[in-house]
Amino acid sequence: MVLHLHIPDGYLDPIIALVAYLMMILYGIFVLRRGEALNEEKITEMTVIAAGIFVAQMLNWPIPGGTSLHFVGGALAAILYGLKGAFIIMFLVLLVQAVVFHDGGITTLGANVLNMGIIAPVVGYYIYKLITTKTNIENKEFIGAFLGGWFSITLAGIACGIELGLSTQFLYGLSVSVPVMAIGHFLLGIVEGIITALVIKYLRKEGE
Amino acid sequence: MIMFHDFFEKYKKAWIIIGVLLILSPLFGVYLADLVGYHEPLDIVAEKLGLEEKTGFYETPFADYTVPNLPDWLGYIISGIIGVLFILAIGLLIRAYYRWKKSE
Repeated sequence: MVLHLHIPDGYLDPIIALVAYLMMILYGIFVLRRGEALNEEKITEMTVIAAGIFVAQMLNWPIPGGTSLHFVGGALAAILYGLKGAFIIMFLVLLVQAVVFHDGGITTLGANVLNMGIIAPVVGYYIYKLITTKTNIENKEFIGAFLGGWFSITLAGIACGIELGLSTQFLYGLSVSVPVMAIGHFLLGIVEGIITALVIKYLRKEGE
Repeated sequence: MIMFHDFFEKYKKAWIIIGVLLILSPLFGVYLADLVGYHEPLDIVAEKLGLEEKTGFYETPFADYTVPNLPDWLGYIISGIIGVLFILAIGLLIRAYYRWKKSE
């Protein structure tokens, strides 16, 4: 059992779902007020990136044994646009996936935004920042983006495992759901890291 | 068409990449999935546990990236386009908000 990150309706009990919604709203209010002000051009660019991440998430690579692998993009969005931008981009993607395609639930949208629009970007952003500003290794942008992408998925997976494990509607407890999600996403996260690093490398080169 | 210029011409390269990914997407989401007999992992768990996935508060015609009466591969691509259009529409609204705020 390795699960992917979009939790459908019916898997989280009302309390967990509600707490996750509250965390999403509080973090949203906090993050939208800080940082650089947004303008029309930034919003346009972020919309294009959101469309790109949405489509990239459709390239779902099934793995025999009941799991699948697709790019998430939370770390990438955060490296490119900071935490505020990443929250908006990932919220947009997850909202459309849930409302139009039932990919991830409506009641679980809070939890999915918490995992992919908050935890993944925060982890990816700070790892990238730490490596690019505090170290002097070669290719630090590439390595920072790789590790940021990798651990963004690992931590998002652990968070997802905690939410499912705590839910009384999900019959596996924390002792099963957390290690399974952690190990699974530690492995799947490598691909996220590689894609994040390649995209950052490409965009930085384009920008020169 | 200022909007067309802002959203498309300026980001031509990005849209070409998005288009290519869209055309390739059924290879992953439909063809490979059939090949390995893929089911949503959480669906499998649900079946084992006797849980039923609640579809939410309404039915969407595009559930799981399909379009009624279309073959899966085409439905997948059209779903992708529909999703992109929804994202663009919301992006436009947010943009309009920032324009309105600036003019205040």
